Amino acid sequence: MHGFAQSIVETVRHPLLILDGGLRVREANVAFYRTFRAAEAETEGRLVYELGGGQWDIPRLRALLGEVARDGGAFRDVEVRHDFPHVGVKVMVLDAHRVLHDDGTPMILLAIEDATDKTLALDALHELNRELDDRVSERTAQLEAANRELEAFAYSVSHDLRAPLRALDGFSDELLRSYTDRLDDRGQHYLRRLRSGTQRMGQLIDDMLMLSRINRGAMRREPVDLTALAEGVAAELRGREPDRTVAFVIEPGLSAVGDGALLGVALENLLGNAWKFTSKKPSATIAVGRERYEGAPAFFVRDDGAGFDMAHVSKLFGAFQRLHTLREFPGNGVGLATVQRVVHRHGGQVWAEGVPGQGATFHFTLPQEESR
Amino acid sequence: MSDKIILLVEDNEDDEELAVLAFARSRIANAMVVVRDGQEALDYFFGTEANGGKDAKMMPQLVLLDLKLPKVGGLEVLKRLRADPRTRRLPVVILTSSKKEEDMLSSYDFGANSYVRKPVEFERFAEAIQQLQMYWLVLNEAPTSGGDRP
Repeated sequence: MHGFAQSIVETVRHPLLILDGGLRVREANVAFYRTFRAAEAETEGRLVYELGGGQWDIPRLRALLGEVARDGGAFRDVEVRHDFPHVGVKVMVLDAHRVLHDDGTPMILLAIEDATDKTLALDALHELNRELDDRVSERTAQLEAANRELEAFAYSVSHDLRAPLRALDGFSDELLRSYTDRLDDRGQHYLRRLRSGTQRMGQLIDDMLMLSRINRGAMRREPVDLTALAEGVAAELRGREPDRTVAFVIEPGLSAVGDGALLGVALENLLGNAWKFTSKKPSATIAVGRERYEGAPAFFVRDDGAGFDMAHVSKLFGAFQRLHTLREFPGNGVGLATVQRVVHRHGGQVWAEGVPGQGATFHFTLPQEESR
Repeated sequence: MSDKIILLVEDNEDDEELAVLAFARSRIANAMVVVRDGQEALDYFFGTEANGGKDAKMMPQLVLLDLKLPKVGGLEVLKRLRADPRTRRLPVVILTSSKKEEDMLSSYDFGANSYVRKPVEFERFAEAIQQLQMYWLVLNEAPTSGGDRP
């Protein structure tokens, strides 16, 4: 084979073999010699299955080539993976078809694409992905276990802390009740301080438990009537302190999609805060509604109470963070952390604006029912 | 003094004394018997094995049962009470500091008549005890057959 055809064969970057009808090598190109580390003397004129000490005697190749030699025709894109003794594992994509030699003799052109690097890289990539998947599920399992442990711990702490608190509160109550004649005013004052301390701690334990519960368990996704929830909370607050003059302005028709119980907890905290921080005013207004905030609709709870300095806004939603002293307003700094967890669990955002002495507004977003 | 007995199953000494205090504050003073673990509670009802069950005590009108108890837990005691014809209908109120939902659900599943969580605030605890007493010993019509001795 000379001239035009030969220069094509030599130029092609894939290994090529030209076989005669008896499957002996008539010619091999440079790429073949390089890829399979073969010498020309040991290649030309040899039966293809004898090349390199029989390393091309691959059952699959035998079947394919036998068919082409016998019946004519061709095959394309046949992937063969073979471990060559001197070369190592090669993944080859084989193509073969009959060609006519210059002299008219029928020949077989066998094109061998060395897909080893590509295939091995892909394999490695898949392996890496599998490892990554394994590692992720392992870490997830570890995290879930750690979380469960923490929940169990929080539960048992709250349970076990409650018992001694009951004793502290109960016995000091009994002292105040049945032993007043033997305690002077100062002694009684200390006992009352003791009792209010235990009660605060009891509340704190309950609030911590609530906070830890928000992230636990399945969350419902159903239409929730926020207006009705807010009105219920408002009625409860009024019932608790009927002497206060507070106007609730609750927009009708507020709704969202989410977990009614969790959203109830969030509204209890937001409205409870508004109620608490307006307590020093002779009359107050608390509004609940929906408005556009920077172009997107958001719910809000607004009061005209004590407000806060925006310089401290970053502390507002952190657990156990307080912007007021206990003497000013009671509380333990868990309420807004709870609100934030509820809103985040729904995939929403919560933020606040305040002016000292003028009031505060809490905005939050929640998933809406898809419009039909 | 009413002849109706209340059985308190409680292992915590503080809680026991607080319960006694709370009972003492109520106007209807029932006799209260205290047992301190689940096994003692079962022995109270069914007698000890050593005595062939002959030393079972007088049937109470109401059982206040803690869940976290040494030896035999509260839920197991409840299960055993419900399995026996003598105590099957006996009013049992779970009195616990557990707020765990599964504890509450299991209690009802095993046939508890009420589930009351001990409040930290003693005044509320005393109120709860008084209300329980008022309801179960005064208002409520106790089952007649459930309390029969064999």
